[in-house]
Amino acid sequence: MQVTVIIGEDEKKLDVNEGKTVKNLLQMLEIPVETVVVKKNQSIIIEEEPVEDGDIIEVIKVIYGG
Amino acid sequence: MDTCDKCGKPQIIINRKQSGQMLCQDCFIKFIQEKVLKDIRRQKLIKKGDKVLVALSGGKDSVMVLHILNSLRNRRIIDLVAVTIDEGISGYREDGVRIAAQNAEALGIKHRIISFKECVGRTLDEIMVDSDDRNACTYCGVFRRWILNQVAREEGATKIATGHNLDDETQSILMNYLEGNIHNLTRIGVQSESMYEGFTVKIKPLREIPEKEIATYVLATDLPVHLAGCPYAGDSFRAKIGTFLKEISKEHPTIMYSTLRGFDKIKPVIKEKFSQKGSMDICQECGEPSAGKICKACSFRLSWNHE
Ligand SMILES: [Zn+2]
Ligand SMILES: [Zn+2]
Repeated sequence: MQVTVIIGEDEKKLDVNEGKTVKNLLQMLEIPVETVVVKKNQSIIIEEEPVEDGDIIEVIKVIYGG
Repeated sequence: MDTCDKCGKPQIIINRKQSGQMLCQDCFIKFIQEKVLKDIRRQKLIKKGDKVLVALSGGKDSVMVLHILNSLRNRRIIDLVAVTIDEGISGYREDGVRIAAQNAEALGIKHRIISFKECVGRTLDEIMVDSDDRNACTYCGVFRRWILNQVAREEGATKIATGHNLDDETQSILMNYLEGNIHNLTRIGVQSESMYEGFTVKIKPLREIPEKEIATYVLATDLPVHLAGCPYAGDSFRAKIGTFLKEISKEHPTIMYSTLRGFDKIKPVIKEKFSQKGSMDICQECGEPSAGKICKACSFRLSWNHE
C-alpha cells in the first residue's frame, strides 16, 4: 500500500507494508518520535495509530535541540 | 480501537504514558488548561490584581502561557502585557517576532517589541562575530534578563511569566547536578524569590507540562506558533542532556516528574546550606541590581567599547 508523507515543505509517496503503525513509519524514516507531532488526514494522532492505504501523514517537527 | 478515557470518543490524540490516560482532542485541551490553572493556584504563582508580563518569544511555550493567562485576564483577575525581545538573529527571529505580535493582537493584549540592537547596541549576530569563547546562549540569557527586568519595572509588572516547561526544568536540574553547580541549583524553582529590590518575581506556569504536550496543545488549538530551532542552539551540553532525558523517558515515562519532585524536596536543604546571601549592589553603569559593582550585561557592553 501507499501513503503520502509530508515533512515540512517536502512531500513524498511511500510504499508501506500492511499492518504498520505511525511509529513504524517514523522508525523507517529515522525520525525520533519524541520530537514530532503527527497528523493523519489532518487530525492529530498517536504513534500507535495504524497506517492505511491512501493516508496522508504529516510529520511536524516540534522539538529542537534536545 | 482506543477511546477517550474521559468521554469515550474514538479519536484520541494523546497517550499520556506517565499516567496511562488516553484523551481525545477536546478532553486533552480542557485537561491541560485546567492542569496549568490548578498548578498556578496550588503554587500561588499569581494573585488577584497582579500585572503579569509574559516574555513572549512566539514559540510554542510562551504562546501557550499567553493564551492560558489570558483566561485569567478575561475574568478580570489579572492584567497582561506581552514583551518580545528581538535578539537579532537573521533569518530566524523575524518569523517569531511576527507570530508573537499576531498572538498578542488577536487577544488584544498590549505588546512591546524590544531589540538587542536598540537596548544593548548590537544584535546577537553582531555580538557573535567578535566572540570567540562564550556561546551565544550566555549573551542571550544575560541581556534578555537585563532587558526584561527593566521593562517589567517600566510597565509596573508584578510578575514575569516565562514558558519554561518540564523538559527545560529537568534539564537544568540535571545539568547543574552533573556539573556540580550547587549554587545554581538553589536558584531553580517554579517561582523566583524576590530577595533583592529591583527584581521582578519570575513564574513558570508550564513547569509541570512536558514539552511534547505543549506542542500537541498548540497544534490542537491551532494557535499560530514559531516552530523552528535557534541556529545558535547547536550541540550544547543542554541539548545532550535533553536528548538523554527524552530517550530515557520512553522506557520510564515518569522520570522527569520524579526528577522534578525529588529536586523540589531537597531544594530547601540545599538552599539553607549553599545559598549565597551576599549583599546585592547596584550596577554603577545602569543602576540595575548586580552582584558586583558592574552587572554582567554592562561588563559585556563595556568590553566592546574597549575593542
Ligand atoms: Zn474525550
Ligand atoms: Zn549594569
